[in-house]
Amino acid sequence: MANIQVYDPALCCSTGVCGVDVDQQLVTFAADVDWAKQQGAQIERFNLAQQPLAFAESAVVRGFLERSGAESLPLILVDGEVALAGRYPKRSELARWAGIAEVPVAADAKPAKSCCGGSRCC
Amino acid sequence: MKFLDQPPRFLFFTGKGGVGKTSIACATAIRLAESGRRVLLVSTDPASNVGQVFGLEIGNRIVDMAAVPGLAALEIDPMAAAQVYRDRIVGPVRGVLPEAVVRGIEEQLSGACTTEIAAFDEFTALLTDSALVAGFEHIVFDTAPTGHTIRLLQLPGAWSGFLDAGKGDASCLGPLAGLEKQRSQYKAAVEALADPARTRLILVARAQAATLREVARTHEELAAIGLRQQHLVINGVMPAEGGSTDALAQAIIRREQAALANIPSTLQALPRDEVGLKPFNLVGLPALRRLLGADDADDMDNSALTGQATAADFLALLAAPNLAALVDEIATDGHGLIMLMGKGGVGKTTIAAAVAVELARRGLAVHLTTSDPAAHLAETLAGNLPQLSVSRIDPQVETERYRQQVLKSKGAQLDAHGRALLEEDLRSPCTEEIAVFQAFSRIIREAHQKFVVMDTAPTGHTLLLLDATGAYHREVARQMSATHMHYTTPMMQLQDAKQTKVLIATLAETTPVLEAANLQSDLRRAGIEPWAWVINSSVAAVESSSPLLRQRAVNELAQIDAVANQHAARYAVVPLLEEEPVGVERLQALARGSLDLAKG
Repeated sequence: MANIQVYDPALCCSTGVCGVDVDQQLVTFAADVDWAKQQGAQIERFNLAQQPLAFAESAVVRGFLERSGAESLPLILVDGEVALAGRYPKRSELARWAGIAEVPVAADAKPAKSCCGGSRCC
Repeated sequence: MKFLDQPPRFLFFTGKGGVGKTSIACATAIRLAESGRRVLLVSTDPASNVGQVFGLEIGNRIVDMAAVPGLAALEIDPMAAAQVYRDRIVGPVRGVLPEAVVRGIEEQLSGACTTEIAAFDEFTALLTDSALVAGFEHIVFDTAPTGHTIRLLQLPGAWSGFLDAGKGDASCLGPLAGLEKQRSQYKAAVEALADPARTRLILVARAQAATLREVARTHEELAAIGLRQQHLVINGVMPAEGGSTDALAQAIIRREQAALANIPSTLQALPRDEVGLKPFNLVGLPALRRLLGADDADDMDNSALTGQATAADFLALLAAPNLAALVDEIATDGHGLIMLMGKGGVGKTTIAAAVAVELARRGLAVHLTTSDPAAHLAETLAGNLPQLSVSRIDPQVETERYRQQVLKSKGAQLDAHGRALLEEDLRSPCTEEIAVFQAFSRIIREAHQKFVVMDTAPTGHTLLLLDATGAYHREVARQMSATHMHYTTPMMQLQDAKQTKVLIATLAETTPVLEAANLQSDLRRAGIEPWAWVINSSVAAVESSSPLLRQRAVNELAQIDAVANQHAARYAVVPLLEEEPVGVERLQALARGSLDLAKG
């Protein structure tokens, strides 16, 4: 199974609760990640503000930051190679990389547990 | 003093800057030590004079106070603690990741919450009976964590996996993520705080309506999370000076007694003590010993006066620029945004109103917008001057609307754990700041045609974060739709000195001036240069025959000098008025600093 790594920008939190607007893309993506994990996908997320070492340790990510800057995040690696940058993947893309058959979203799909509530922006 | 009766092991003093909680904490520690107990005094006040009081360098280690047998002290610098925390996260990538990226990460970790949580981290060992404090019967803290910090630490969900595993998915624990202590230790610390047999919380306030309202809020917030063992201390109460007929002193007594008579109902049930205003500076062991003692006649003796100010100092001060002189300069722009910034209780609303009245009196169109919860000031102005319009934003209403809006859009997708974390996030102080600023930003656009005067503003840190988010949204919008929309972030407008003038309001007292200086460096970090400082409620700018007030005036001089010569590009001094500055006439008296008008 492919290993998917998501390098998030340094938002004070990945929901943007602290910002001027709550970013629906982040909410949707958190849910998609949770869904894919339940299907057995291996996905890791790293927040630049909290785990910068993860960015520094990857030559690919470090090079990306040097060329394009933090404003070009997120960056998504699949098995260590760049798969996508500048936006979050759709559920179908996650499914394709992870090699899982996409199924319709169940009404009672379990929501994401990863996010962000506790992050402090201040 | 009721708060000294049968004291438990931990005593926390809390209250906003400048109310004198460090002095009272020091005096309490001395009193307990001299009654034969072994006491540790813990100070987190960045303006801490604990070392100065005892003539010792203290710093971040426990030091015995030779002058007071049984007393030891420890100073925690919250800023330094936050820096250590930041270094732990950022240090390993400095020089490895691009510099701009590193700066962005540091900004994320530079807010008040990070500082507060890092300081709490330092408290933890002291609260959980480690060997470190085994020898002390009492531990006196000159500050207390806020309800927000404690709730955050209480949330069990906040800890799942994170501290144990050392990493999580793009988790959002923010400052908590870098804490190194064990979860069980935080739990024990929070339990110690909530245990009335071990902990007493002493709210320190002044006899001022606005301060008492703020204390009532703190009281309710902390009681709601289980810290019920609370006392109230009203510090600096103006005593009736024997035979003094000084009009200003009499007016202050009337005003303070009225504030105490109308004390918020939630505070009425608390055991309450009053500590009188002292003519001496609260520095040095003898002064602190006397702080909590019975008021004796000696206190009123002029020989107790410690200042060396000369008549010439005061005359120079009377020539100090008044608010009207600043407004003259503002008026030449013809339009623009004027923002008052500063901590609660320094009189931002009053100064904003006085600036607005002065501008309107010059025939300029002005929109004054205020978040003053009392609202009476705005009401008395509405309709009184043809050029002046007034609007009011209720911070609680705006914050609640913002919370509901976020919960509605977000909450639907989250499980109970995620929702609890999100709800807590939305109770953070920055949420209110953002919600209120959003409401204000609707009015800001008017500043292209007229003057807009605001009595509140987000901090530099919040603006940087808002801007970071804005930049991110811009980027996303560009990539998703390929349309080139024009965006202006709040910060872009605030950084432009042609459009915006920031006035920092403060009082001529040590802690408020220090807090204002911190605010200024915070703004500079965001590329905003404050245009002027306004020193409010100055006793030094008023004539008074009261020995107490004269001494306070002497104490103010050093602070006014620091503002004028170290901190401010330009400044104004606003006198303390006998009556609350409500209405057009009194606001003008405030701005003109005229003694005759001030007395009327």
